Amino acid sequence: MKKHITEAEPIGDDDTLGAALRRQGVSRRSFLKFCAATASMMALPPSMVPAIAKALERAKRPSVIWLSFQECTGCTESLTRAHTATVESLIFDSISLDYHHTLQAAAGHAAEEAREAAMRENFGKYLLVIDGSIPVGNPGYSTIAGISNLDMLLETAKGAAAIIPVGTCAAYGGIPQADPNPTGAASVADLITDKPIINVPGCPPIPVVITGVLTHFLTFGTLPELDQLGRPKAFYGQSIHDRCYRRPFYDKGQFAETFDDEGARKGWCLYKLGCKGPTSYNACATTKWNGGTSFPIESGHPCLGCSEPKFWDGGSFYKALSIPTTEVARDALYAGAAAIAVGSALGMKNRASSKQAKAEHQKVSVDDLNKED
Amino acid sequence: MSARLEQAVHALKEQIDAPVASFLSSCVHCGMCADACLFYTETGDPKYTPIVKVEPLRRVWEQEFTFMGQLKKKLGLAKPITDEFLAEWESKVYDSCTMCGRCSMVCPVGNDITYMIRKTREGMAVSGHVPEGLVGATTRAVTIGSPMGVKFPALQAQIKHVEKDYGFKVPVDVEGAEYLCMLSSMEIMNFPEYIGAIAKIFDHAGVSWTLSSKAFEATNSGIQIGVSDIASELVQRIVSEAERLKVKAVISPECGHAYTAIRWEGPNLVGKKFGFKVRHILEVLDELRKEGRLVTEGMEEGRLTYHDPCQIGRRGGVLEQPRNLINMLVSDYVEMPDGGKMNWCCGAGGGVSTIESADEVRLKVFQRKKDQMEAVDAEGLISACSNCRIHIEDGLEEYHMDIPVLSLTETLAEHLVDKE
Repeated sequence: MKKHITEAEPIGDDDTLGAALRRQGVSRRSFLKFCAATASMMALPPSMVPAIAKALERAKRPSVIWLSFQECTGCTESLTRAHTATVESLIFDSISLDYHHTLQAAAGHAAEEAREAAMRENFGKYLLVIDGSIPVGNPGYSTIAGISNLDMLLETAKGAAAIIPVGTCAAYGGIPQADPNPTGAASVADLITDKPIINVPGCPPIPVVITGVLTHFLTFGTLPELDQLGRPKAFYGQSIHDRCYRRPFYDKGQFAETFDDEGARKGWCLYKLGCKGPTSYNACATTKWNGGTSFPIESGHPCLGCSEPKFWDGGSFYKALSIPTTEVARDALYAGAAAIAVGSALGMKNRASSKQAKAEHQKVSVDDLNKED
Repeated sequence: MSARLEQAVHALKEQIDAPVASFLSSCVHCGMCADACLFYTETGDPKYTPIVKVEPLRRVWEQEFTFMGQLKKKLGLAKPITDEFLAEWESKVYDSCTMCGRCSMVCPVGNDITYMIRKTREGMAVSGHVPEGLVGATTRAVTIGSPMGVKFPALQAQIKHVEKDYGFKVPVDVEGAEYLCMLSSMEIMNFPEYIGAIAKIFDHAGVSWTLSSKAFEATNSGIQIGVSDIASELVQRIVSEAERLKVKAVISPECGHAYTAIRWEGPNLVGKKFGFKVRHILEVLDELRKEGRLVTEGMEEGRLTYHDPCQIGRRGGVLEQPRNLINMLVSDYVEMPDGGKMNWCCGAGGGVSTIESADEVRLKVFQRKKDQMEAVDAEGLISACSNCRIHIEDGLEEYHMDIPVLSLTETLAEHLVDKE
């Protein structure tokens, strides 16, 4: 699903991404390394690396408006809090982030004016990033400068080239939407249907995923290929389980039964401890977290499945996937007994019917064959 | 519903047993049986798909023995069993099925389709939707004693010829003989050389045997038309005679379905275990060979192949014996592609040869046999079933091929060394 959207054009000042990066001390070598890593992550051929470098080098800093609704700021934290300055975060810094109420210095009316000005000047061209879900049941649960989240979303979305819901709350409703959903929280895609939407779910999402999507957009002017849940396939194409380094233990049937047993110490599969790896699609197992240090399973905790819709409502995080919620043994016994009863009743009926048919047999003679109707 | 149709549905219902119910429940509609049937491969018409032929039986099973079928029937949604429907199926069940058993071999879920077609015929025969030729043959078998209307005097005349030619007496009604030798009326009428051949071989090997004046006919039209009551009556004639003459074994002649009738269906039809053994003539001959009681001289000339009659080879398991015997008689022997267990039917078994309306299709599907023979460049063909031989000769003539068709027993007799 590739939608062509308007190419990013000079915004505000004439500064290019390349110039901005160099000014911040990023060497050409590490910039190209970033381009190559991005290309491989997005499953692009190596021949695309120069094209990516060239496109990023020349790209005018796109205007980005970031709206935060019912969220915890974890997503922003994930994207901005790196121990050392990464190229990802610098690229992120190099966009023209015209409105982000956590990060911007302006406050109150000035802040809202900045948003309105960015919208006006770049109408139809800016990228709209959303984190947090939108309370639709009672808009009063979350307002910014007296404007309800819903109104702000609808107004800002009008001029956006594309919308990137960041985090599971914006993408699928997330924790605010968890049962009983007191605020009537909705996802961006629930409310906006006429704009290209690239979901970047996760609680929080991996920083490189959002820069990857931005890079794709800046290089090709198109959206990356998305899966059925609107996520870029390059990052969400494979399950955690399929790429997990503990997968061989699963295949051999070696599981940790508790968090402190021998299996847990030996690093066996966490499936029985509730790991949602088999049903969760994300890049954690390959990209990893904290500058490539590790990911949850590597530190001994099962995957929560945070990049999937309704992950909060899937029962306990520590309940294994295939363990059903009712008492199966008992139900199966009843069902089995009922099936045997019905089956043998039908079987007896058929047997009787067959026996009767044989008993009623009328001998067939040659005369019967030669009978005229 | 007419009384006859009602009787037919009842007859089909009687035929449904556990195997049929499990076969019909497990059919996955893959269509692999189509490619195993020469009536499909040679015509390309999907109506010849073997499993389609059992549709009358399937409908009765569905409507009488399955919950959904009974529900559908009550709601009037079930496909009815009508005279028109059975009339349409007549040619599928009789004209285009030789009950060769090839479809049962390939079914991936193990359905014995041939078994079900045999059962479908039970209902068809009662319904009256059955080919005239087959009714005629069955009637003659019951009333006269042979489907071709042959009576003992005709056999007696052939015996006289044999006795004159060979100069020894052919045993008839000899009590206490080891073997009771059965014949098919085709052998009496078309291939009387067969009688001479077995007389010569048994004389050569010193076998104690006899013919019977009361039961000489081995064929069983009841099996072909699908009326177990009649099939049982015909088998009983042989059983009674074997018991009267106190023989150790009954020998089935060079005929396919006769072997199936006496050996496999026989005890079930009469409802008891036989007190004697049933052997095919090729089994007996191969045993004589093994015991060194057959001394032959010379070999047949030319490149020869063997056609396995379906009921003897695939259905009967007599596969090695003919090849052992041929080894003794033929120097340039070639196996046809698919020869042996998966050999293709000649196209005229299972009663098809008696059905006039099947003439066209049976000659059309002979193409398969022609292709098989051409693939190995055969200059002659040996077989062990008179029905196969007659039809193959017919087919070769139709396709203008000049290839002799031989009987294995007769060929063996020709090569025996004369007794001193």
